Amino acid sequence: METVITAFLTILALYFGVGLLFGLYFMLLGASKIDSIMRDSKKKVRLLLFPGVVATWPFLLRRLFKSQTAD
Amino acid sequence: MGLDYKLVLWNKHKKTYDKIIALGMVLYLVLFIALTLAFNPETIAETMIIRAFGSLAVIMLHIILVIGPLSRLNPQFLPILYNRRHLGVSMFLAALIHGVFAIIHFHTLGNVNSIYAVFTSNMDYGSLTNFPFQVLGFLALLILFFMASTSHDFFLKNLSPNVWKGLHMLVYVAYALILLHVFLGAFQQETSVFTIGILVLGFIVISSLHLVAAFKESKVDGFKGEKDTGGWLKVCDVHEIPEDRAKIFSVGKKRVAIFKYDGKLSAIHNVCKHQGGPLGEGKIVDGCVTCPWHGYQYLPHNGQSPPPFTEKVATYELRLDNDMIYINPIGLEEGTEVEPILC
Ligand code: HEM
Ligand code: FES
Repeated sequence: METVITAFLTILALYFGVGLLFGLYFMLLGASKIDSIMRDSKKKVRLLLFPGVVATWPFLLRRLFKSQTAD
Repeated sequence: MGLDYKLVLWNKHKKTYDKIIALGMVLYLVLFIALTLAFNPETIAETMIIRAFGSLAVIMLHIILVIGPLSRLNPQFLPILYNRRHLGVSMFLAALIHGVFAIIHFHTLGNVNSIYAVFTSNMDYGSLTNFPFQVLGFLALLILFFMASTSHDFFLKNLSPNVWKGLHMLVYVAYALILLHVFLGAFQQETSVFTIGILVLGFIVISSLHLVAAFKESKVDGFKGEKDTGGWLKVCDVHEIPEDRAKIFSVGKKRVAIFKYDGKLSAIHNVCKHQGGPLGEGKIVDGCVTCPWHGYQYLPHNGQSPPPFTEKVATYELRLDNDMIYINPIGLEEGTEVEPILC
């Protein structure tokens, strides 16, 4: 059981760790690449979105790749 | 609908609702602490905070879960539905305070990581009654975090509505986890009878409301109108639709809302482009069909949002015959103009 718990919590920590890095990238550069509306939105909006970006980074990353191949 | 993202989509009503939410939360906490001091004066502050915020979160979750079916049964509840997002985020914050205080209170003494301690301080995973109930609370809190942090329109659009909807349907998983968390907690700690009572009553109310609402919807979906020779569907008498409102019918597997306004009739697809809100449960405001959930607007005769917005829904052709409304079940392209029929 302890290995299962350790594995689960390690994966969780890694997931959020990568999420934090992605969140940083989002704040600085990624936001308007993912969604062009972000270009015209206030910077504070990014702060509000930050926790959600950390939580859902795999989906946003996928979107980032898609939008780059589409351009 | 917006051309840029706002921090929060405020309007006067929302501010009023938010004040009510905040006031309600404060009132509950004060009442809880006053009652605890009156009946259990030896309770320590941490325990009081843990219990006050835990039970507050659970009550708020119940309100959130009944708003959906209630507003489907009675449109008067719709205004609360618009504000459900803020209620959800506030509920998460209450649950977070509960969880953080519980972790600080019970798990920061040892030299292992405190989250690890939540999972390992009780290893009785095989037991039914002594199962580590705090783990269930932790998993529920994780789900609530995903929901609260993605409640902004940005995520609805960029996660895709399907992923977003799936994520937010997890609220039912969180609800189940929390039920178990509290019931098991009751076996292992001295959880109050009051909390258990609320949960049992709440479960009965929530499940029966969902069943009644689903039954009502199944009647709409089971609608089988007569067809005339041209394949048009006979739907209802024109007088059955109130002014500036709609009736919803299921037409060829799609739900369609038929609106009556200014002596005219128009039919559009019932599903809002924003989050799939039921347009036919909304009203005509300033000449536009106004979604009851968050207020997106569409012109009834062409299904288009008024400029500068660009949302479009499908439209349908209608015919009136001796006050009886007929509809062409084959919908038109989204945003197609249809001359309204006069009634
Ligand atoms: C990290 C997550 C969580 C931890 C560590 C945790 C821990 C605890 C603990 C230790 C108790 C027993 C308190 C006592 O009787 O003194 C408790 C009770 C309770 N928890 Fe949680 N919990 C968590 C998440 C949640 C969530 C997400 C909810 C609901 C939204 C919740 C709702 C409750 C309720 C209603 C009680 C019963 C309070 C009472 O005694 O009246 N918990 N929790
Ligand atoms: S669903 Fe949000 S406005 Fe219609």
